[in-house]
Amino acid sequence: MSWASATPPGTQPGYVSYAHGNFATSAPHPFATLQPSYSTFAMPSPSESRPRINADMVPFLAATAYTPVPVRQGFGQPYTLQPQYAAYANTTNPPPAPAAPPAEPQQQQQKIDWPDKVRSYVQRSFESKNMLPDVSREEMEAKLKETISHAKDAGIMYTTDWDSMPLPRSSAAASTEPPARATNHHNSKKRKSSDFSESDPSTGNPWRSNKKLLSLSDRISQPPGLDSKSLKQAEKAENRKQRFNTAEYKTYRSPSPPPPTGPILGTCTNLEKNYLQHILHQTLDLLKKKWRKENNYNYICDQFKSLRQDLTVQRIKNEFTVSVYEIHARIALEKGDLGEYNQCQTQLRALYASGIKGNAVEFKAYRILYFIHTANRTALNDAIADLTTADKEERAIKHALEVRSALALGNYHRFFQLYLDVPNMGAYLMDMFVKRERLAALANMCKAYKPDFKLRFITEELAFESDAEAAQFIIDHNGQHLLVEREDSIIFLAGNAKQLFETARADAHRRVDLKGQI
Amino acid sequence: MASTSTPKPDEKSSTPADSKPEQSQNTKTAGALEEDDEFEDFPVEDWPAEETEAANQQGNTASGGTAADHLWEESWDDDDTSDDFSAQLREELKKVDAAKRR
Amino acid sequence: MDSLIKEFRAAYADQLGNDLAKTLTPDVPNNAAQLMSVWESGNSQSVKDDLKFLFVRDKSARLNMSSEEAVGWQEIYYSYWKALGEILAAEGLRKSRVKVRDHPNQWLIVSLVSPSEPLSTSKSPWSINKLTCRILTQTSWTSVYEAWKELTSQIIRGYTNHEFENWTIPCLYVAGKYMRLYAMRADAERGSNGDEMVTNFQDDFDPETEKHKSLEDCARQLNRIFNLCLSDRAPLSESRKWGIYYAINLLFKTYFKLNSAALSKNVLRVLSAGRGDMPDFESFPKSQQVTFKYYEGVLAFLEENYEEAERHLTLAWLLCHKGATRNMELILTYLIPCHLLTTHTLPSAKLLAPFPRLQALFLKLATAIKKGDLRGFHQALQEGEDEFVKRRIYLTLERGRDIALRNLLRKVFIAGGFIEGAEGGAQVRRTRIPVAEFAAAIRMSGGQDIDTDEVECLLANMIYKNLMKGYIAHERGFVVLSKNGAFPGTGV
Repeated sequence: MSWASATPPGTQPGYVSYAHGNFATSAPHPFATLQPSYSTFAMPSPSESRPRINADMVPFLAATAYTPVPVRQGFGQPYTLQPQYAAYANTTNPPPAPAAPPAEPQQQQQKIDWPDKVRSYVQRSFESKNMLPDVSREEMEAKLKETISHAKDAGIMYTTDWDSMPLPRSSAAASTEPPARATNHHNSKKRKSSDFSESDPSTGNPWRSNKKLLSLSDRISQPPGLDSKSLKQAEKAENRKQRFNTAEYKTYRSPSPPPPTGPILGTCTNLEKNYLQHILHQTLDLLKKKWRKENNYNYICDQFKSLRQDLTVQRIKNEFTVSVYEIHARIALEKGDLGEYNQCQTQLRALYASGIKGNAVEFKAYRILYFIHTANRTALNDAIADLTTADKEERAIKHALEVRSALALGNYHRFFQLYLDVPNMGAYLMDMFVKRERLAALANMCKAYKPDFKLRFITEELAFESDAEAAQFIIDHNGQHLLVEREDSIIFLAGNAKQLFETARADAHRRVDLKGQI
Repeated sequence: MASTSTPKPDEKSSTPADSKPEQSQNTKTAGALEEDDEFEDFPVEDWPAEETEAANQQGNTASGGTAADHLWEESWDDDDTSDDFSAQLREELKKVDAAKRR
Repeated sequence: MDSLIKEFRAAYADQLGNDLAKTLTPDVPNNAAQLMSVWESGNSQSVKDDLKFLFVRDKSARLNMSSEEAVGWQEIYYSYWKALGEILAAEGLRKSRVKVRDHPNQWLIVSLVSPSEPLSTSKSPWSINKLTCRILTQTSWTSVYEAWKELTSQIIRGYTNHEFENWTIPCLYVAGKYMRLYAMRADAERGSNGDEMVTNFQDDFDPETEKHKSLEDCARQLNRIFNLCLSDRAPLSESRKWGIYYAINLLFKTYFKLNSAALSKNVLRVLSAGRGDMPDFESFPKSQQVTFKYYEGVLAFLEENYEEAERHLTLAWLLCHKGATRNMELILTYLIPCHLLTTHTLPSAKLLAPFPRLQALFLKLATAIKKGDLRGFHQALQEGEDEFVKRRIYLTLERGRDIALRNLLRKVFIAGGFIEGAEGGAQVRRTRIPVAEFAAAIRMSGGQDIDTDEVECLLANMIYKNLMKGYIAHERGFVVLSKNGAFPGTGV
């Protein structure tokens, strides 16, 4: 029985829990072998200006350019060969060819020496003076198991201060506990032994308890509130559900179905916030790495959503929260996922407004460009109203405001100059409306100029890369008859265009209006 | 009981004090200029036509012409070429002309 | 309570809706003592008994009222009395009985605790009390709002269940008006206490919604009033439809405050669908007409339907009471940008004379536009930017730059003078003008350099927008202007 199938159908309509397990599994974690790094994902500072989009513009692009991307693998599949994942990788794809995983971590996974501190933590938990009357031994075991395996997964087993780690808590807390690692071993026979460590229940951890695991599964397989017992139990169930929602790395609204089998995992986190935050930090680092390595947007997007969900539920609102949203927003921007980008942007606005530091300038500038794109005049007004006097002196924001102003006045000359020199990742946004603005400019020129001028003039004014690109654009809009060759240059017969570009412009802008309403 | 065994209270989740918004002039936004700028309730529910703004305008223009004539004007300066700005403009245009002839 | 009911009876006997509404008006600044005496006229039980006597058993009143209706009013005044208690407490005019009994020294402390002082810093023995007091003060306006909402519901019930007649509808207005006020205070109070009541566990929740929790709820209540009026099928003379603009205007104000002006559009749609059954707009009191036209105009303005906006706003302006300076100012704030875009006209000094704020807003801009002074325009726009943005007229006014530019180019054209007409005919204006001349003018007026391509782009825009007639001959570097009306509508 997989975890997914044990998930009560009523608890999370449309939410499917699976992918996150990759970060929380008690089995040797594929990422646990990576050294977290906080420095590798630095964005260009907002003041830096970059040339138009190319690989070196965006760090992840740059990284992916040099990272051989492995053959597409199963959902959530990390790039190294992890036999325990083979089960569901197999369901869609052949197992990936073994890359060359670092040898050392691989060995580490095979045999884990539990640190003494951990052992004594377990011991202490079972000392009679620390036992609470309302905590059953089973609950204690499950709790311990979860805490420790989580630490291991996150790669912090050796850095955690086990001496001051709180002992497993009362039954009220324990009963709201998520089922944790409970389901891992359901898949254990699909794993190779080499993947396993002592943390696997089947290999004889002292706290192993099948009974408990079953009861947990049972519990979560019942919709909360339908508990046959007392009201109090119903309340507990509700609590549990909350807790469950909280801690589970859910993937929701995902179009893809959950894999039929696979390492499905519960979660951790009945621990204190700082501990949880530590985990979240690590998750972020892993995601960043993974994004650079694999550039698998759907996957990374789901992961980020879960991370965001955790932050929301835990009410963590600090600079870390900001950076999660910022990074997700940048990735979404790069991939043109405006829906996701906009969600991040909305949250960022609130976070910055509450005084939390981040790259507010960079994102305020995006926000302006975004509303230019969606032609949302009201929101644009709001975005401008949000700016401080200091903001308006910032290059990125100045740039965005000038873009807006140039468009408002029909100054296409200025607009395309600004298009050639966009700070940060603003070019991704400008790319989205540059076509319609080229049509607007051509409509304008065709009415104002007679009889003709060189195509080169269009190439330069409308920031095409070459005459050929400009000509292609005109041809794509049925303007081939407006291009003639004269002496050694191509001439554009502006005076003959009639309503050609005016119609195309109106169409393009109408489409935006519709989109902007959504 | 659960709460007493929780070592750290929930206050962790609240925003740290050092991340409060800065109170400097520069951080003031246009949107933040709060002042009651709503359309006000009129002190009386209704009034006769002679107390309306329309009647007021008629009264002020009793000497003739319609009210709007005096309240809105054309957006261009009609050929008042005596002001500094126009004089300066003529100078500039002369320079262009001279440059062309050279 | 007796005196209040006496006023009620007088108003009721003469069917004076506004007087009736006055008995349900908690105008604290002007009426504190009276409101206080109403509140102090008894406790919950005695007030209940009194009201029962006054409305049901007291035969001396001889009000022509069914017992159904009497019960309705009785409930309303009881709710009103309860709400008054909350209001007076929130205003700091009375001590909360219950709370004082529980913690005798709390109210003393409330005044000692600065609301801005963070809770976490309180290490003194007071801290528990501080905490308690903080909670008490936090919720005071929210309690007022809830109590007043209950009163509003009672009044609505009066119409649906207790046979209230339509002349009493000013009561509905008072209820809605104060409900909105208290909702805003409740939101402000929560906001200033820095409590983020994040109850939504989705991370795409809208923080704005949390900020305006009470006001959003209020919008729903106002919608109930709106529907109560709209749905009445009684003949017009007895219809609650006469209350419709009360409700709509309150809804508009609320939606604007919530930054959801767009929702007002729904109201307009529903209204125009049912307009056939509605009393003539002109037969409503002018205060309601003007308010409605103002919001209808601003809504059209925000959607860039400037001509429609101009129509509504002009009507609001002309109907407005001549003494209502502030409202006139607001109407003109939108009417002036409308005029600029629709008819390219500017407010005269005379129009602006009674309104110093409007002068500050528009005078410099208007002057720069007339002169064709691009730099002056830019400066005026920048100076007023915060105010313009806040009023949501910035983006519209910005387009005045086109008019300023048009005026500048017009000056260049006029300065070009005349040339011999064809075949020795009368002199005609020179229509072939070098781009360089326009460029020089734009450089001078704008106070900064600009390259020829951009100048051409600006000229192309003038032609595209029909502000200038003619064409650009790019390769030859000049503009050929139309001989007949090169600058349409400006006499040349």
